Amino acid sequence: MKLSFSAEDEAFRAEISGWMADHLTGPFARLKNRGGPGDEHAFFEERRAWERHMGKAGWIGVGWPTSAGGRGAPLSHQVIFYEEYARAGGPGRVGHIGEGLAGPTIVAFGSEDQKRRFLPGILSGDDLWCQGYSEPNAGSDLANVRTRARLVGDRWVIDGQKVWTSLAHVSDWCFVIARTEDGSSGHRGLSYLLVPMNQKGITVRPIQQMTGTSEFNEVFFDGAETAAENIVGKPGEGWKVAMGTLAFERGASTLGQQMAFRNQLDEIIAIAKANGRAKDPVMRQRLAEAWIGLQIMRANALRMLSQAGNPELPREAYVSKLYWATWHRDLGKLAMDVLGPEADVFPGEPGTYELTALQQLFLFTRSDTIYAGTNEIQRNIIAERALGMPREARA
Amino acid sequence: MKFAFTEDQLLFRDTVRDFLAAECGPAQVRECAAGEGRSPARWAKLVEMGLTGLTVPEAQGGLGLSLVDGVLIVEEAGRAALPEPLVDQIAIAAPLLAAFADRTDVAEILAGIAAGTVKLAAGHPLDPFVADAGDADYLLLGREDALHLVPRGRVTVTAEVSVDPLRRIAAVDWTPGNDTLLSADPAILDRMLDLGGLAAAAQGLGLAQTMVDLAADYARTRQQFGKAIGSFQAVKHHLATVQVAIEFARAPVYKAAFTLAPRDISHARVAVIDAAAAAARTAIQVFGAMGYTYEVDLHFFMKRAWALAGVWGDRHYHLARLSRMVLSDDAALGADGTFADK
Ligand SMILES: Cc1cc2nc3c(=O)[nH]c(=O)nc-3n(C[C@H](O)[C@H](O)[C@H](O)COP(=O)(O)OP(=O)(O)OC[C@H]3O[C@@H](n4cnc5c(N)ncnc54)[C@H](O)[C@@H]3O)c2cc1C
Repeated sequence: MKLSFSAEDEAFRAEISGWMADHLTGPFARLKNRGGPGDEHAFFEERRAWERHMGKAGWIGVGWPTSAGGRGAPLSHQVIFYEEYARAGGPGRVGHIGEGLAGPTIVAFGSEDQKRRFLPGILSGDDLWCQGYSEPNAGSDLANVRTRARLVGDRWVIDGQKVWTSLAHVSDWCFVIARTEDGSSGHRGLSYLLVPMNQKGITVRPIQQMTGTSEFNEVFFDGAETAAENIVGKPGEGWKVAMGTLAFERGASTLGQQMAFRNQLDEIIAIAKANGRAKDPVMRQRLAEAWIGLQIMRANALRMLSQAGNPELPREAYVSKLYWATWHRDLGKLAMDVLGPEADVFPGEPGTYELTALQQLFLFTRSDTIYAGTNEIQRNIIAERALGMPREARA
Repeated sequence: MKFAFTEDQLLFRDTVRDFLAAECGPAQVRECAAGEGRSPARWAKLVEMGLTGLTVPEAQGGLGLSLVDGVLIVEEAGRAALPEPLVDQIAIAAPLLAAFADRTDVAEILAGIAAGTVKLAAGHPLDPFVADAGDADYLLLGREDALHLVPRGRVTVTAEVSVDPLRRIAAVDWTPGNDTLLSADPAILDRMLDLGGLAAAAQGLGLAQTMVDLAADYARTRQQFGKAIGSFQAVKHHLATVQVAIEFARAPVYKAAFTLAPRDISHARVAVIDAAAAAARTAIQVFGAMGYTYEVDLHFFMKRAWALAGVWGDRHYHLARLSRMVLSDDAALGADGTFADK
């Protein structure tokens, strides 16, 4: 066991913090701390340029293997990267679905051709990706996917509908789970397809969120097409690949998320001190408890990632989504309670619907316990897989 | 002792509930939010039903009812997330003004409230903004322990944006004068805060119930894994837990409406704020991603509850006030402390 950073780690820290200080300036300066969850619409084009800027400097795919074009950075460097990115106020990444989900999935399950074809666009920040899993009747019950794909000559032809597809309106590519075996149901007969978004057969309709803005969408496939070779794994193996992607959702990127959490908690503590609520014993305890929760998550993440390479996800991987989602939802509420009456007023002019960063945090965190597996589904998974309890009876 | 409403009170409540279900359903609330924010037609009907004069004394053309009658109606206004400022008339303005009905100008204003020709807004110094100030004919405003009745023309109103798309709030700038003074009784502003707190609590109760009802409806119909999600125990237990919180907030609200005791009002306020927050959090969870959208009605109720939780003394304020009362050296103990009204 070793919990400290080496001299070589510190040199890496100086490199990334220096780069952030030099580059998050000029036209990018106003992106500081913008574009995070609930704020995805802010400065989108500018953040897209920032993504390319990072790509040029080799800061996308820090944890990817070098064979895939990444830096192959060890865990300690990934920790440092995320710490320094957050410390500098690095903006919400427009390419996070590609870097965190599509890329690692292609690295793990894709063909050599696919790696050559798709990874460079992610690493350069040019290609943005979205995740086409959920459908109107396939939310928690993801295996109930009904979107169909048929192989016609050298193309997959896709018909159906996805929903809640984050960033579909700005994405170049979507990884889609579709049913490719007629008459199949459940996990069987699904395939994992990589589909270009800019085509006639795809219609994207934004869905307005309770924040008033739109980050997710309905995506309609009406004879949409993709080349026959754009399938990850074999036909019928879609479920296995899709579950692989979900495992990446619990991976190193949670470190970055925790640094954002840290910034949010620091801001809330600063406000509590400034407005006097930090004198209230109840608030003091809630703030201290939030701090404890953050330390628990961080320790858990480091422990989990230290075992990376284990084919079996350890128990702490199952518990982490449930824990951080609930903690973060509580943090959103704590922020509002610390703000007091000020929390109920939006900052814009009458007729507008603009939120402060903490109001965005509060509203967005209402969804943390829903996406990437709801709390209830997480608890079912913990009970059934980690504790070996009988599976719930299903109709 | 009888801690229950009369047949008549409940019948009246049901009439108002049916009326609001027809005139102020979620679709109409949504329409209102997308348009003008207030419906003059609905307001006219509320006036016609005599609702604006509910607590106005009979001598001024009102129904002369008490806040025990009123609390049920305020709860219904919350249940429907009624956009128009009925609650401020019947639960704050009229009860405050009624004590000064011997003043002819006040009597006229009370008659105007009952007739639907005059609207009041009310703002306590604790709150930086006043709801529906722009549209009001008169404002009840506190300054340095005194309560003033200020004509709209003497107030400069600067609109602000509430988290609740249907709540209209504004900063008010005004200068108190001898001619605006209504009462310098040192207890008057506490009474105003108590009335406002009770009004917010009763609305919160209705809002919480609507959120649970919407979620329960959804849980009965939404299918996953081939079953209604309401058949999963996790979902059932979530909603049942919130319903327990709502029921246990209901009794303190009704009691507070009867006693109007600061202690009871603070208790009701804290219980409702917690129940409504749990209702919002849970209802969103049960709706899944749907619950996070603007397109599903839920958020209108959630945002109203959020906004109301912050005014007329928030949880923090009322809990602190309550703890002072409970822990004071002369606090009643034992059986006296449990059932005493004061
Ligand atoms: C902000 C946001 C972004 C998203 N982005 C994407 C995206 O980019 N791509 C994508 O594919 N999807 C995305 N989603 C969708 C997300 O994955 C789904 O919302 C999630 O899987 C839940 O599905 P659902 O919303 O249909 O809820 P439902 O499955 O209908 O669940 C409703 C309620 O029932 C409960 N429930 C369901 N089944 C059970 C059970 N067996 N036992 C106990 N309780 C149960 C749930 O826990 C929940 O409380 C996003 C969602 C949100 C909120």
